[in-house]
Amino acid sequence: MYDAATETVNATLAAPLDETGLIRAAQSGDADAFERLVRAYDQSVLRIAMNLLRSPDEARDVYQEAFLKIFRNLRQFRFDCSFHTWLYRVVTNVCFDHLRRRKVRKEDSTVVETQDGLVDQVTQIEEVGPAANPERQTWNRELSAGIAAALQELTPRERMVFELRHYEGLRLRAIGEILGTSEEAAKNCLFRATQKMRTRLEAFV
Amino acid sequence: MNCAEVVKQIPMYGYGEISAEMEERIESHLTECEACREELARHRAFVDLLDERDEPIDPTLLTTCRADLRRQIVAETASRPHTGWNWLGSVRGFTAFHIPFRVPVGAIALVAIGWIGAHYAPARFGGVETAGLVQPMFSNVQSVQPDSSGNVSIAVDEVHRRVVSGTFDDPRIRELLLSAVREESNPGVRVESIAVLKDSADLQVVRQALIDAVSHDPNPGVRLKALEGLKQYASDAAVRKALANVLLKDDNAGVRVQAIDVLTAHSDDSIVGVLQDVMQKEDDSYIRARARNLLEAMRASIGTY
Ligand SMILES: [Zn+2]
Repeated sequence: MYDAATETVNATLAAPLDETGLIRAAQSGDADAFERLVRAYDQSVLRIAMNLLRSPDEARDVYQEAFLKIFRNLRQFRFDCSFHTWLYRVVTNVCFDHLRRRKVRKEDSTVVETQDGLVDQVTQIEEVGPAANPERQTWNRELSAGIAAALQELTPRERMVFELRHYEGLRLRAIGEILGTSEEAAKNCLFRATQKMRTRLEAFV
Repeated sequence: MNCAEVVKQIPMYGYGEISAEMEERIESHLTECEACREELARHRAFVDLLDERDEPIDPTLLTTCRADLRRQIVAETASRPHTGWNWLGSVRGFTAFHIPFRVPVGAIALVAIGWIGAHYAPARFGGVETAGLVQPMFSNVQSVQPDSSGNVSIAVDEVHRRVVSGTFDDPRIRELLLSAVREESNPGVRVESIAVLKDSADLQVVRQALIDAVSHDPNPGVRLKALEGLKQYASDAAVRKALANVLLKDDNAGVRVQAIDVLTAHSDDSIVGVLQDVMQKEDDSYIRARARNLLEAMRASIGTY
C-alpha cells in the first residue's frame, strides 16, 4: 500500500517478543530483560533525539537521561498505558527540556543550528555508511541537509509529531497520548508540519 | 466532497489516519477528478523524497550511549543494593539459602550492616537453641562423644550476630570493614564496606584492599565500586598496574570502560603498551575508540591490528 514504508517501521517497533514478560522480569530486577527492552527501542530514541536536537552530545544526554528515568521508575509502571507510549513520553519531555534550556543559553543554539554545523554532521555520518556512487551520495547529502533544515523551521512540537509519525511510524492516537493531547490536536500538528515541509522542500520534488 | 476538501485530506489519507468513511469518499472523488489524482501523485513524490533521508545512526554514538547507560546503572545499583536489581548477582536471594559467613580468623564480631535482615537458623539447630545457645547464625559440629552413661558430648562452633558501631578511626571497625571486603561472601556487603572505605584510600592498607577487590572480586558491581575509590590515585604506580590488568583482562565491559577512564585521567607514556594491547584485543568499540584517541593524542602508533 501507499503507507508501506512507515508500516514496516511499525512492525519492527512492535516486534520485540513478549514485551509484557520482559517488563515484568525487568521490574523484578532482571538486568538482562531491562537491557533487551532498552535495545528494542534505543536506536529509535537516539534517532529522534538526533533529528530533534541536531547535536550528538545532546542526543547522548537525552539517551542517558531518558533510559535512566525509565530504569528508576520502572517499578511504578502499572501498564496503564503501553510501554512505548510511556517511553516516548519520557523521551519527548527530555528532548523538549533540552530545547528549552538551549533557548536560555542563546549562544549554544546558534552554534548548533548554523547551516554549516548541519552540513558537517551529515558529512560525518556519510563516512560511516557504505560507499555508493558519488553523485547519488551528493544528492542524498543535499537532500538530508534540506530535510534537516526544513525540520528546523517547524516548532519543536510539530517536529516531534512529524518525526514520530513519519519516521518512527507511530499512530496519531499514540502520539496524542505521548504528548498529553488529543488525537485531533496531534493530527492538526502533523498537518501543519507536512504543509511547511512540503513548501520548504518544493525545490527537491 | 469538493477538490479543496480532498486536497486538504490527502496527507492524512496517505498516513491512513482518516476514517474508513472519509477514505471511501476521497477515493470516489479521485476516480472522477484528474486534478486531485495529480495532487495525490505530487504528494506521493514528496513522501518518497522524505523517505530518502539517509541519516543512519552513528554506530560509535550508539555504542557509547549503551556503555554510558550500562555503567551508570551498574554504579547506581552498586550504591543501592536494596533495590534488588541483580546486576550484582543475586544479592538478596543469598541471605536466605547460603552458608552466610566465613569468619576471618581473629575477627571478634561480624559487622551487621543494615539490610542483612534474615538470620540463618535452620530447623535442625532447634535442639541447640533449647539447650540454651541463643540463635546461632552458623553452627558447626566439631566432634560427638558418647559416654557409657548414655550422655553425648557435642562440640559445637557457633557464630552470633553482634552489632558493632564506631567511627572509621576505630581500628576494630576498620579491621572489620577490611575483612568484610576480603571475606564476606555477600557482594552487597562487600559493596557497602568499600563505599565506607573508599574515602580513606590514602591509607596504604585500604588502597591495597581496593586494588585486591578490583583485581580479584568475582562481582562486577564490587569491582566498579573499588574502581571508584581508586579514581583519585590514578598516578599511583601500583594502582596503574592493577588497572592496566583490569583493562586487559576483566570480562565485564562496564568495568573495562571505567578502568580506561581512570587510567587515562592521568596520562603518561607507561600506558602506551597497554593501550596498544587494547587495540588488539578489545571488542567493545567505545573502549577501542578511547584507546585510539589517546594513542593518537600521545602521537604513539596504534599498533598492528
Ligand atoms: Zn478534485
